[in-house]
Amino acid sequence: MTSAQELVDDREGENIFRVHRSAFTDPAIFDQEMAEIFGRTWLYLCHESQIAKHGDYVATQIGTQPVFVIRGSDDDIRCFYDVCSHRGSRLTGRTSGSAKTLTCRYHGWCFNAEGACTLVRGGDEAYRPEDLDRMDTNLRPIEKFGSYKGFLFGCLDADAPPLDEFLGGAMPFIDLMTDQAPDGMEILRGESRYMMEANWKLQTENSTDGYHVATVHRNFATTVGYRETLAPEGDSGMAKTEASRILSLEKINSGGYDVGNGHMINWADRGNPEAGPSWPQREALLQRYPAGKVKWMLERGRTVTVFPNLLLNDVASSCIRVWRPISAELTEIETWCIAPKNEAPEARRARIRKYEDFFFPASLAVPDDVRAMEGAQIGSEALEDGWNDLALGHKTLVDGADDAAKELGVTPLNSNPGREVETPFFAFWREWVARLTP
Amino acid sequence: MTYERSAAEDLLYREAWCLDNKCWEDWLALYTEDAVYWAPAMDGDEGWTDDPDKDVSLMYMDKAGLEARIFRIEGHDSYATDPLPHTAHLVTNVLVHGEQDGLTRVTATWMVRTYARVRGGSVRGGLYEYGLRETADGLRIATKKIFIHDDRIVGPIDVYNV
Ligand code: FES
Ligand SMILES: [Fe+2]
Repeated sequence: MTSAQELVDDREGENIFRVHRSAFTDPAIFDQEMAEIFGRTWLYLCHESQIAKHGDYVATQIGTQPVFVIRGSDDDIRCFYDVCSHRGSRLTGRTSGSAKTLTCRYHGWCFNAEGACTLVRGGDEAYRPEDLDRMDTNLRPIEKFGSYKGFLFGCLDADAPPLDEFLGGAMPFIDLMTDQAPDGMEILRGESRYMMEANWKLQTENSTDGYHVATVHRNFATTVGYRETLAPEGDSGMAKTEASRILSLEKINSGGYDVGNGHMINWADRGNPEAGPSWPQREALLQRYPAGKVKWMLERGRTVTVFPNLLLNDVASSCIRVWRPISAELTEIETWCIAPKNEAPEARRARIRKYEDFFFPASLAVPDDVRAMEGAQIGSEALEDGWNDLALGHKTLVDGADDAAKELGVTPLNSNPGREVETPFFAFWREWVARLTP
Repeated sequence: MTYERSAAEDLLYREAWCLDNKCWEDWLALYTEDAVYWAPAMDGDEGWTDDPDKDVSLMYMDKAGLEARIFRIEGHDSYATDPLPHTAHLVTNVLVHGEQDGLTRVTATWMVRTYARVRGGSVRGGLYEYGLRETADGLRIATKKIFIHDDRIVGPIDVYNV
């Protein structure tokens, strides 16, 4: 069997970085990924605002394993394997819900929101006390669970490093989103799950790929630009879009960073930052944070791609995206709009409309991304011509921080001026190889 | 005034015909100038978002938004939209519920079978709620709300396939 190392041709001294396309198609590689990456790394589960009250839960998966996150009577949030300790029935009945007592639908055992078994139906008559002791009827928490600024993560490897250490260089960029929200962030109502008939890593690459924006999303930009000519008043003020920036019609500052542990940043100055939903907060933010940081918050669109399958997008609107591998060529994607709590109605409305324009499978952009990635999946089957050469922007790569990173006071492993670069992918693929190499 | 079911059916069937035959301008002409086109998103397993200003919808558009969708299709520059799939709308169970806020309320059930050579066939379904208004040009659509029942959506959702 081919090893991950053989699929990534990483020759630093010779300035060569290539990925063999069978990384996207080989089912044996997929099985390794599920065990070594999705079975062992920190993975995003949900946001704390989705489980605001005692008993609120979100049911999800870590790799292939069902888990659920629930808020206890003590206000602590915990994550358990979503399985009844009796004979393995899934406990939650909904993708999200509220239950101070979880009653197993199969034989009626009950559990409280802190995971303790509170009822074994008929237990006194049918079990010896030592039977129940041995069985340990309480729910089993997952190995590691943590929160960073309200983003909840879980990990099935008890020996994994702490969450902060894992997020590392991505944290200052996550803060750029959360620090816009003095009252915290919230996930808005309105869900969408969609399928992509392509490998999950194509979504990871696409999330930080600035190169496709001017081609795949040219149609988005011309379409919203056309709409603005039809209804100038409807698309004015905060509703004004950033069409011209997407088309790269104006020269803008942009770049890409490797911030370590497989996390990638792509950024570009906004075309019209004053139309951004957080722009009215600018004065207040300037009193709280250095000017360089506020510039990053409000005047630079950012995509933060957290290894292996999470994207925090803070551009014209704001989005969380998670993609879960189903097989080597099928991926389930979930997308949420996230916003500062207590946002002014006009800003909230503009944020929502821009979100719908771009981030949902009914939008003017995501369907084109999905089709592009599905096209890459089909093309990747042509294994005889099998290498993706990620040389784009390699010649402009610099070690450490560029001027923009210095404005934020962070030091990426490397920086690249310009968003039309592929060098941030090195971060992902190097981490991928490290995880799959025994 | 409240309409006979047949008048509402004619309009709903004509809309389906325009979409399935890709007569975009004729389709757009079925909407009033102040039309609201709304496909709410799911909220939990049983609910839907109900406030487009506070919640996220799958689509929430005025007539300019609909016209922009046609622009997107006709530009042949959208990877997801070119080539266009064949669609067949089945619109049934049409009921007229009477008058509210100056509009005739009509509900219906829909199913759309989509076939694209690149990805094969798929079927989606759901419910429609219409608000119809009499204009100088005849009965027109002032509001359309589309409940899309499918989760884990395969392929794009757009005005032509719901
Ligand atoms: S499997 Fe849950 S009570 Fe039997
Ligand atoms: Fe994209």
